Amino acid sequence: MILTVSKVKVSPDGLAFVDAAPDALVCVAPSGRITLVNAQTERLFGYRRQELEGELVEVLVPEAARAVHARQRAGYVADPVPRPMGAGLQLTGRRRDGSTFPAEISLSAIDTGDGTLIAAAVRDVTQRRRQQDELERANRNLASFAYSIAHDLRTPLRALAGFSAALIEDCGDGLGQVGRGYAERIEAASEQMSALIDDMLHLSGVSRAVMNVRPVDLGAQAATIAGRLQRDSPERSVRFAIQQPAWVRADLVLVRTVLENLLGNAWKFTASRANASIEFGTRADGADGHVCCYVRDNGVGFDFAYVDKLFRPFQRLHKASEFPGTGIGLASVRQIVERHGGQAWAEGAVGAGATFYFTLEAEEI
Amino acid sequence: MRDQTIMLVEDNPDDEMLTLRALKKNNILNEVFVAHDGVEALEYLFPDSGQAAAGLPGLILLDLNLPKVNGLEVLRRIRADQRTRLVPIVVLTSSKEQEDILDSYHGGANAYVRKPVNFADFSAAVRTLGMFWLLLNEPVPEVIPPPD
Repeated sequence: MILTVSKVKVSPDGLAFVDAAPDALVCVAPSGRITLVNAQTERLFGYRRQELEGELVEVLVPEAARAVHARQRAGYVADPVPRPMGAGLQLTGRRRDGSTFPAEISLSAIDTGDGTLIAAAVRDVTQRRRQQDELERANRNLASFAYSIAHDLRTPLRALAGFSAALIEDCGDGLGQVGRGYAERIEAASEQMSALIDDMLHLSGVSRAVMNVRPVDLGAQAATIAGRLQRDSPERSVRFAIQQPAWVRADLVLVRTVLENLLGNAWKFTASRANASIEFGTRADGADGHVCCYVRDNGVGFDFAYVDKLFRPFQRLHKASEFPGTGIGLASVRQIVERHGGQAWAEGAVGAGATFYFTLEAEEI
Repeated sequence: MRDQTIMLVEDNPDDEMLTLRALKKNNILNEVFVAHDGVEALEYLFPDSGQAAAGLPGLILLDLNLPKVNGLEVLRRIRADQRTRLVPIVVLTSSKEQEDILDSYHGGANAYVRKPVNFADFSAAVRTLGMFWLLLNEPVPEVIPPPD
């Protein structure tokens, strides 16, 4: 048996299916009259379906938006391609009791032989909108928190560093060697804390930065960074093997930070090697549209038992006296790669070098 | 070193003392007027009609994060007034937020320097600023021809 509801033919199974849909489904004739609604529409808008069928669809729109809605509806009938309604706009639905709710609406057209019907799927996004607002508020708070750390923590640090330096300079004789040693430790510790604050801000900047994803030749970037490392320490002899080109789709500024951290680490941890070598390249085994990139060195390596700690902020596997650093570099790497939808991991062993892998979106050439 | 007053706008007593010490250590012996907030800075530059004007400073070192009237607002008011709009202003602050740097330049700051935590670096920054703005740089002529 076929039920004919105003020119849309729906079987009883079909009706049950439409009624079970989680979105409110509203079918509208070219005249703007509602021809069919499902059960969720009744629940969402507070009407019974007999009250809606035959009414102008604008009854579901807040009064203030009705005229505009009617005009745009006519425009859609003229060019009915499936699309979200009012992309980028905040849409609002109106219930029977006059209350309103934020809505997301997708449109598609149904050809019926004589005239095109418009099917609208309406979803109440109150909950999602609230979560978005909360997220935005949390992000704003985080930004102002980071700002006040930069400002307010740095000022007392400058006093610690400055007055311990003044103590050594102006009263150094009276302090004696031991006293001067203590003052120097205070000075060094405050500078260390200043470096930590800078890195922490950098990390929070990485998670807030606006991404501009476009084709990037990682090979060319790696070569530039390698050249700079070599220039800064001309006494070192390191063999670089860099694959060029190595195209990916990524934010240039952020992936440059990834390479700077990984190549900088490789440079640092091969310092004791007579035949230091650092390699950058890509492998074809990246999953679904991704490229797997790696930076490999033959430096001091790390204890694989602690691999999980590597990417955590301020976690270090080496003593600061052996290798300087604050332990933020790899945390930034992971943060950046994950923001791009990729993954970062490491392999290595003590004395046997380390390899850092990261996946990024492939650039189709 | 020309005989010009330096105006230091700084609310933090530690930073004030460190800046004064750095000036002294670098033999920059110009008179320094310290304003501890934006209001004090503006009162010094724009005294009430009854009081005598103190004369314009040769250089203003301006912190941004100030109680009452903040640094950017002080900057705006100095630049908005014919009498003070050409006075060299160096923003000297803890922040290196892009927004602060941009706002300062848009507001008409001549330079933006982030206070280093290390005192040797801080002292070197103060020396460089003093040398450049009070010695090397040609100041604005005393008599300013009226515009147009």
